[in-house]
Amino acid sequence: MTRFIVRRLLSTIPTLFVIITLSFFLIRMAPGGPFAREKKVPPEILQNLLKKYHMDEPLPQQYFRYLGDVLRFDLGPSFKYKDQTVNDLLGTTFPVSLTLGVMALAVATFLGVLVGIISALKQNKWQDYAAMSVAVLGISIPLFVVGPVLMLVFALILDWLPTSGWIGSRAGWATVVMPVMTLMLPPFAYIARMSRGSIIEVIRSDYVRTARAKGLKENVVITKHVLKGALLPVVTYLGPAFAGIVTGSVVVERIFDIPGIGKIFVQSAFNRDYTVIMGDVIVYSLILISANFIVDVLYGILDPRITYK
Amino acid sequence: MPISTKTKDNAVNEFNQYVKPVSLWADAWKRLRRNKMALMGMWIVGIYIFITFFAGLLPFFSYTDQELMHANLPPSFKPAGIVTLERLEMRKLELESAIAQTNREDLKTDLTRILLEAEQLKTEIDSNPVHKRVYILGTDSLGRDMLARTIYGGQISILIGLIGTLTAGLIGIVLGAMGGYFGGWFDNLLGRFVDIMYSLPYMLIVIIIMAMIETTNPTTKVFVLFIAIAMISWLTISRVVRGQVISIKNSEFVEAARSMGASSPRIIFRHLLPNTLTIIIVYSTLSFPSFIMNESFLSFLGLGVSAPMASWGTLVSDGVQSMQLYPWRLLVPGAAMTIFLFAMNFMGDGLRDALDPQSKNRT
Amino acid sequence: MKRVLSAVLMIALATSLFVSCGGGAQGAEFIMNNGAEPATLDPSNISGVPEHHIYMALFDGLVTYDPKTSLAAPGVAESWSTSADGLTVTFKLRKSTWSDGTPITAQTVVDSWLRTLHPDTAAEYAYMVNMVVKGAEAYNTGGGAASDVAIRALDDYTFQVDLLGPMPYAVDMMAHYAFAILPMHVIAEKGTEWIKPENMVSNGAFVLQEWKPQESLTVVKNTKYWDAKNVKLSKITFLPIEDQLTAYNKFKAGEIDWASGVPLDLIDEVKLRPDYQGNPQVATYYYIFNMTREPFKDVRVRKALTMALDMQELVDKVLKGGQIPANGLVPAMAGYTPVDGNPFNPEEAKRLLADAGYPNGKGFPETTLLYNTNEGHKKIAEWAQESWKQNLGITTISLDNKEWGTFLDIRQNLHDFDFCRAGWVGDYLDPNTFLDMFLANSGLNDGLYNSPAYDELVRLAATQSGAERMESLRQAETIMITDDQHVIPFYHYVNQDLIDLSKWDGWYPNPLGSHPWKYIAPKE
Repeated sequence: MTRFIVRRLLSTIPTLFVIITLSFFLIRMAPGGPFAREKKVPPEILQNLLKKYHMDEPLPQQYFRYLGDVLRFDLGPSFKYKDQTVNDLLGTTFPVSLTLGVMALAVATFLGVLVGIISALKQNKWQDYAAMSVAVLGISIPLFVVGPVLMLVFALILDWLPTSGWIGSRAGWATVVMPVMTLMLPPFAYIARMSRGSIIEVIRSDYVRTARAKGLKENVVITKHVLKGALLPVVTYLGPAFAGIVTGSVVVERIFDIPGIGKIFVQSAFNRDYTVIMGDVIVYSLILISANFIVDVLYGILDPRITYK
Repeated sequence: MPISTKTKDNAVNEFNQYVKPVSLWADAWKRLRRNKMALMGMWIVGIYIFITFFAGLLPFFSYTDQELMHANLPPSFKPAGIVTLERLEMRKLELESAIAQTNREDLKTDLTRILLEAEQLKTEIDSNPVHKRVYILGTDSLGRDMLARTIYGGQISILIGLIGTLTAGLIGIVLGAMGGYFGGWFDNLLGRFVDIMYSLPYMLIVIIIMAMIETTNPTTKVFVLFIAIAMISWLTISRVVRGQVISIKNSEFVEAARSMGASSPRIIFRHLLPNTLTIIIVYSTLSFPSFIMNESFLSFLGLGVSAPMASWGTLVSDGVQSMQLYPWRLLVPGAAMTIFLFAMNFMGDGLRDALDPQSKNRT
Repeated sequence: MKRVLSAVLMIALATSLFVSCGGGAQGAEFIMNNGAEPATLDPSNISGVPEHHIYMALFDGLVTYDPKTSLAAPGVAESWSTSADGLTVTFKLRKSTWSDGTPITAQTVVDSWLRTLHPDTAAEYAYMVNMVVKGAEAYNTGGGAASDVAIRALDDYTFQVDLLGPMPYAVDMMAHYAFAILPMHVIAEKGTEWIKPENMVSNGAFVLQEWKPQESLTVVKNTKYWDAKNVKLSKITFLPIEDQLTAYNKFKAGEIDWASGVPLDLIDEVKLRPDYQGNPQVATYYYIFNMTREPFKDVRVRKALTMALDMQELVDKVLKGGQIPANGLVPAMAGYTPVDGNPFNPEEAKRLLADAGYPNGKGFPETTLLYNTNEGHKKIAEWAQESWKQNLGITTISLDNKEWGTFLDIRQNLHDFDFCRAGWVGDYLDPNTFLDMFLANSGLNDGLYNSPAYDELVRLAATQSGAERMESLRQAETIMITDDQHVIPFYHYVNQDLIDLSKWDGWYPNPLGSHPWKYIAPKE
């Protein structure tokens, strides 16, 4: 196990290096640039801008300059938000998305596994159909529909919640209710459906049958034996899902006007804000790699059949 | 693990797991036929596919024909002329009350125009065949039939869902299973490759591909869309399958197969994959809607079908913006899509139950 | 369960109301949706509308915008005079200070403009200065010396500038942020950090209080402002909500006082609201023909496509927002009557198309109309495509959308399109802002228009003044639109805002959509 962990940690460095290098050169290939405007900037002024951001240098030189900066944890200036560095930008927006994402994923996992268990135990009964219909509905209706509908109902018609904003605004924590409700839906659906499927499978397996035969109480069997074996696919799914959700959802952040990193993610690509895109890529890949790594470690804990050689 | 219920005369494999392939499928089919929900799902999916792809041969309106007079009509079985008159009457009242409140010039101009339109409509309502049309599901803001637009919109959405699921299946399952089974450097390499694919800025890569392949031509626009979807569709499923394979590869039945000299591909395809089928099918049916939504995002970049043709994703996202006023513009494509996805899910569940090696030969 | 949920929500709501009742400040507070996060607060680097809104709260230039006409109104300069030949403007500055008490002198203005022009500042809108100030372009592009920029401080409170020609619009242009006056003493000390709330000083009606990036920006009244006694708002909050539907809902829920922009699909509902404000803007929506591509090399085809579109129908039945159908590119302005162009005439259009060799659209080559992805642009393109089909029988025009960056690259750099969508918002109130981009050697001439007669007239106008100048410009536009039909003008934009004018005073409709904050006040 220890050897496995060390090897995985070591392989992170070349992976990150490949990601940074590929991304750096790829994004420069995209048509357009950070200073493209409907009123095209005159060529002389464009020259001033390029010079200011060292973009008039040959690409390899820019690349090594960037690598050097990254090693000093300096992600450079933003071309779009000129008063802020990428560090500032990610530093203020990432915690927001992280808060929202963790809340949504926690709710989704809790409800998802609960619904999954109920469905599996009442397989093909009405509870099962109802629960699974909710799950399918949750994933079939796009977030950009769910968000405005919630807002219409809870903020405008019932007037219970503020339409939008974030914790720092006057409305305070009430602002998180609708974004969390929206953002949790897809992971909830996945988790509910996947845990139902694998619980049904595990319930019929030999070791659960043995446990039952030993006369263990049903809830002990479910929590100790069934869940442990059945959560494997859910945990696998949670790896990429975690990375995806804590790095923000542009849809939810736009609709509810949340100052998160998801908007920055998409906007920077549209703006060709090269340094911000690179910053996003680095943040995302770090989280993803760690999440997948933790998942692999969890395999060994959750399922005794798995060994790493 | 799979309990082989030995049937008397059928040929079985090395440890009694498989009966003859023919009877496996026949057996599955038998069970599928008994599952009412799954059958219904299959029928709905079949009907959808038939209607959307043969829409041109069926008596629907054109999805491009605009009749601006008939813009934003609600679903109704009455002729369009009459519905339009009702709408104009309503608008007249709205405008009059707003004018009473604000006395604004632009509203007065609107009112004059609407009265004129209503007058003109009354004179030609019986003579002009256009006003005899019936829009059972309403119209959009350019006066196009929502039914036709939703039906044609299904073409690209269903296709993209299938392509996504298929590539996810072919690439993701095979690679994931191989990674899980062989482990070691191969698994590590594959895992890192997946990490890299996840991390690269997807949107920009699509934009670059579009810049490299000339995408003004409608056919290439769809082709590049397929590539863009296929590129990422397989990532998560490969990790899920890998996880499942890792957890069962040391099971007794696999050990048994190995000790009897079964080759690696045989073990993977005949023993490991069938036992991960549950998760694969659940995951695939759940991913279907995400491919459909991904299409509407990629159409923002300029991929997929060109306007005036639409997809479910773009119809729904257009509809959201005006749901307070014209709810049918959201509900019609939204419901069409949701019903289809439900049917896909029931079909998926049925398939899973039917193909499940553990319930084989059970009734 | 339901009861529990609503109880929890009620408590949350009650707490939030309680909290919001807390800070009682004197004077009115105002909350605006600005539509986007400001890219920068440094006036030298600004290039967009949201930043412009904030700039108007924080800074006064030599002149500011008159709230009703958008023309120059006194700012730091209390008066100005133009020399007889129209080439020199002399400003008389008032004795005003920065929010930290440092006086603003004519030298501050000189230093500020030179900073904006300095190549290292890389100011995008420096070109506005380059257009009017003598010697500015040479300095800005690295060729000239600072001393050759024809601006000078005659004494502490007299500032003089030499213009490139007798430009009647020059002083009005100087209300623009490109001509901002900057706190040079703070910039010298803090460098790029000067715009941080803890460092920033300004000379406008308001000073920066707090900036939470992507979340909100707050300014409060500047007690040192020269006209402070007339400023009625105590605090303005700018929100960066991009989603029009959210902003509209927020306005309906009473959470914001002014939403600039409305959700286009809800225009039927929005328009009926008493707080809806729709006002013509100096801006035009149009399609550009690529003059190097078949079949658009033929002027008859260009005219046929134009005359087959009923812009009145577009405006009345598709857009419905009170836009003004256009036949020419330049909207009506003081002293300028729009050109006639080639208005809707389907019969004539058919005839022209037949003359060009495509009777009833037969044999019309496959062409693609390019637009950037946007709900509104798509609708207009679909409408135009259908009109060409109905009125001309052309079925071979297909639509192609691209995201913004790709679209701009194709249109501006590669010129790889048949015809495409464009929009132009005037930077100042003069026809010139619409016409000089079609000069053959202009970097903005995306459709590669090339007409020596046109170029000559636009250049001639630059040396003229008064009615004579307007006549030259109008002749030039007639050549480009009526004769050559290089572009299809669709309509002139309207500014669409939601603000309750029975509650707020001092917000007037004006052609540039500039609403200086110092005039806005709650109604008694």
